[in-house]
Amino acid sequence: MISIEGVSMRFGRFAAVDHLSLSVAAGESLALWGPNGAGKSTIIRCVLGLYRYGGTIRIGGLDVLRHGKDARRLIGYVPQEIGFYDDLRVHEAVRFFGGLKCVTVRDPETILDGVGLSGHAGKRIRELSGGMKQRLALAVALLGDPPVLVLDEVTASLDAVGRDELVGLLGGLARQGRAMLFASHRQDEVHALGDRVAILERGKLVRQGPPSEMLLAGEHAGHLKFHGEVHHV
Amino acid sequence: MTSCVFIFATISFAWLQPPTSVGAKITPQMKNTIPIPNPLQEKIRAAAPGDTINVAAGVYRGELVIDKPIKLVGQGRPTLDGGGNGDIVTITAPGVELRGFRVSGTGIDLDKENCAIRVKAPHTTIEDNFLEDVLFGIDLKESPDSVIRGNHIGGKALDIARRGDGLRLWRADRTLVEGNEIHDGRDAILWYSSGVIVRNNKSHHCRYGFHLMFSNGVTIEQNDLFDNSVGVYFMYSSKLKLIGNRMLRNRGPSGYGLGLKETDDYLIKGNIFVGNCVGIYIDGSPFATPNSGLLTENTFAANDIGVTFLPSVKGNHLWANSFIDNFEQVSILGRGELTGNEFDREERGNFWSDYPGYDRDGDGVGEANYESRLLFENLTAREPSLRLFMFSPVHQAVDFVARAVPAVRPEPKFTDYYPLIEPPVKHGVDLATAAPRAMAALSASLLSLALGVLAIVFAGPVRDALRDRAHFRARAIGGIA
Amino acid sequence: MFDPNKLDSKSAVKMSKSTSTARPLPASSRESTPTSTPAFVATARALCVPMRAPSFASNVFRLAARELRDAARSKWFLLYTAAFVALGLGVSYVSAASSGGTGLSGFGRTTAGLINLVILVVPLMALSAGAGSIASDRERGMLAYMLAQPITRLELLLGKFTGLATVLLTSICLGFGVCAGILAWKGLRADPVALASLVGLTFLLAMAMLGTGLLISVITRKSSVAMGVAIFAWLTLVFVSDLGLMAGAVALRMRIENLFALSLLNPMQVFKMWALVSADTSLDVLGPAGLYATDTWGGGVVWIFAAALSLWIVLPLSVAAFLFSRRSPI
Repeated sequence: MISIEGVSMRFGRFAAVDHLSLSVAAGESLALWGPNGAGKSTIIRCVLGLYRYGGTIRIGGLDVLRHGKDARRLIGYVPQEIGFYDDLRVHEAVRFFGGLKCVTVRDPETILDGVGLSGHAGKRIRELSGGMKQRLALAVALLGDPPVLVLDEVTASLDAVGRDELVGLLGGLARQGRAMLFASHRQDEVHALGDRVAILERGKLVRQGPPSEMLLAGEHAGHLKFHGEVHHV
Repeated sequence: MTSCVFIFATISFAWLQPPTSVGAKITPQMKNTIPIPNPLQEKIRAAAPGDTINVAAGVYRGELVIDKPIKLVGQGRPTLDGGGNGDIVTITAPGVELRGFRVSGTGIDLDKENCAIRVKAPHTTIEDNFLEDVLFGIDLKESPDSVIRGNHIGGKALDIARRGDGLRLWRADRTLVEGNEIHDGRDAILWYSSGVIVRNNKSHHCRYGFHLMFSNGVTIEQNDLFDNSVGVYFMYSSKLKLIGNRMLRNRGPSGYGLGLKETDDYLIKGNIFVGNCVGIYIDGSPFATPNSGLLTENTFAANDIGVTFLPSVKGNHLWANSFIDNFEQVSILGRGELTGNEFDREERGNFWSDYPGYDRDGDGVGEANYESRLLFENLTAREPSLRLFMFSPVHQAVDFVARAVPAVRPEPKFTDYYPLIEPPVKHGVDLATAAPRAMAALSASLLSLALGVLAIVFAGPVRDALRDRAHFRARAIGGIA
Repeated sequence: MFDPNKLDSKSAVKMSKSTSTARPLPASSRESTPTSTPAFVATARALCVPMRAPSFASNVFRLAARELRDAARSKWFLLYTAAFVALGLGVSYVSAASSGGTGLSGFGRTTAGLINLVILVVPLMALSAGAGSIASDRERGMLAYMLAQPITRLELLLGKFTGLATVLLTSICLGFGVCAGILAWKGLRADPVALASLVGLTFLLAMAMLGTGLLISVITRKSSVAMGVAIFAWLTLVFVSDLGLMAGAVALRMRIENLFALSLLNPMQVFKMWALVSADTSLDVLGPAGLYATDTWGGGVVWIFAAALSLWIVLPLSVAAFLFSRRSPI
């Protein structure tokens, strides 16, 4: 579903992504793992067509740079934090983004029920907690039943409870056979959600494989191992 | 055969054209043709002096010369048609009366001064005639004590440089010009004609409404002068009275309601100057008689400039005038101060709509002086092209800076020591049609457009919420069932 | 237009969906789900009825409606509108008072005052609305989120332009509506047609300045910088350029036709001159330069103003669209 071939992205002289090639099959989940500045977010933004990168990215066969609008119709995207239209009510937000995704939302409440936001439809977005906002973002991402889900550090600004709830939702209803590409710096999430993990360092792919082989049990240890690898390369 | 066709074509072509373009399309061959004798000429030859000839309705083509003191009276407005060629009526005997005709179609030769009614004798009365498509309208030469009354004089639709004078008086002292309407001509001009009274006339779309050259003791009162280049221009004349006239929208490169050039001893009273480029333009007047310029009880409103003085003009007294919302109330062309002119008489000044002061003791005169010292006006006086920036915020900014920073504040152009609080004479003139109903409709439609948008903005969420609630209720009922 | 790439993608989507529904869910993830997954998915799919692909126009409309609602509830809109209405009230009251009871006023002061008011307030409102929009979205992280939706950048930009233009139109209509109400109530002799055309011209000026504001917003990273640039642009257009031109006209003894041509570069000047003409005022009010314009073009000078103002609407917006689609910072 997602194919990334030789993608590079530079900000000035700094190469955020450097000749990276990855692919995610239908139904597969790929975790992007690495320290801050490794290029996780950048590659995700490239996949969304937000940057003018070098190389090729295709979503379901659609070139992101040439057919960005159609390619994005296949993607549900959850950012680290949503900051849109604070005054908007939750059901209005669902309707609005549904409209952009060519989906007529007849009953936002049912959709919100699914992500555990029952009874919050009439609230304004600024009244929601961080976890609720992220679940709303997930509900929006799932509108129109896209075959691809792209997540960028979705739990980074949540507390432990919120994180667990969101990861639970993501592992369950959100997967549903979708291809998933997500960036995370938490090993437990990678283990819980990823079929495969790609380890990035300075915009380059260091190695990829099943999480159990790539990462040690502890997050801290994982960092150690990771750094060791890099030094040897 | 071919020439026959040509003539026929020419005639039919001329027949189809409106009279104005017939005049314009005269060929040289036609000009040189011998004038056809007018059928009325025979009647005049047969008449005795003092006779009255009644002329029946109809069209009488060709030139007509009236050389006897007779009355020629049209019944049912007969037409004297010049056919777009030369003069039409020439009066050579004194005491002639011409009344009730339609006179149209003079030539367009400015050198020969083609004229509808040429008068060369005194004591002539020209009354109730309708002149149209004429180069010169009524031309009085050496004909004092005449009466020009109730005529309509419509010029040719030519470029202003090719037009003639609608009315011209040359050495026609004591003539009365009353109740005429003159339009689309060059000037109505008085040369060396003293003691003339010009009353209740209308002049519009001409160059100069009334133009005085070396004419003394003339009274011009109750005339309407609008949409000319200049309403009234006094040049090299004296002992003039301009009373109760209305000068509207006289515009153009030199668009003046009234121009004064080297004129002496004038009284300008009770006139209204509205929407002109310049209300009154004063150039070298008074010229020979000191302190002989009197301007009082006039209203200057919505002119670009109320009164313009050329530098070194002195000897004018302005009191009890109203200056209302002129873009510039008083200006001096170039640099200088109006020191030699006075803006009050007997402790009464003028009304200025931009006077910021107030009347503490209730005598109708403001306590603070009215001073005109705006920097922008000062700049435009020196550099007229800067008027391009009028109405821009920079205009206000310049004046504001000058008010705040005394160093750049110009000296006052003039000072009115006794500014009036109320306009001394209230002239009412319709500047634009007051249309409160249309204005209210405009207001209502603008407001409803805006409120409509706002209603949509704020009603949308409400509608959504109501729909959701209805949906939940339906679902809840379904669940219970 | 036939596009094999799209065709492939659609079949790929279908395939992936068929495989996804066929594939059994991993047991672990099903257990960790708090809600009953298949039921939710079923209802969600039933409730979300896919429409035809959203066209360019429908997306622009949606985004415009969103922007309109957001902006109409914002503080800046309330503030500027209140200021505009209050000043409009002031202008009409002052012109009512200044006639001194002669009924002679109505034209000069009202028109001049309104023109001045519009030149001062409306461009500031439009510039800051435009400059604030994209830059503040960018700062809130909203721009990236919006662009991650299936919309194009041009749709987003035009949606914002349309929405904000509607908000400005609302504000202008409120201001002038109140003003016209006062004039009608006080029975002042002012021409409703002239006032209506002033409203139209004001809207054109607002759109020109809105496009310029959006351009500023596209090229600056921070909203504070965008606001600063917008205010600078306003100062330049309202005061600095005119003062510069005035100084230039005097110092260089500029020819009248050059002065007039240069003044056409400033949308405020074009607006002012056009408003004067539409209020039935001859341009010779503006001295030699205005006389030159009247003599050279007569009534056709309106077309020059129309062209100049249209360029001011189209050009900044086009440049903004071009730069924005060149992947400006997000």
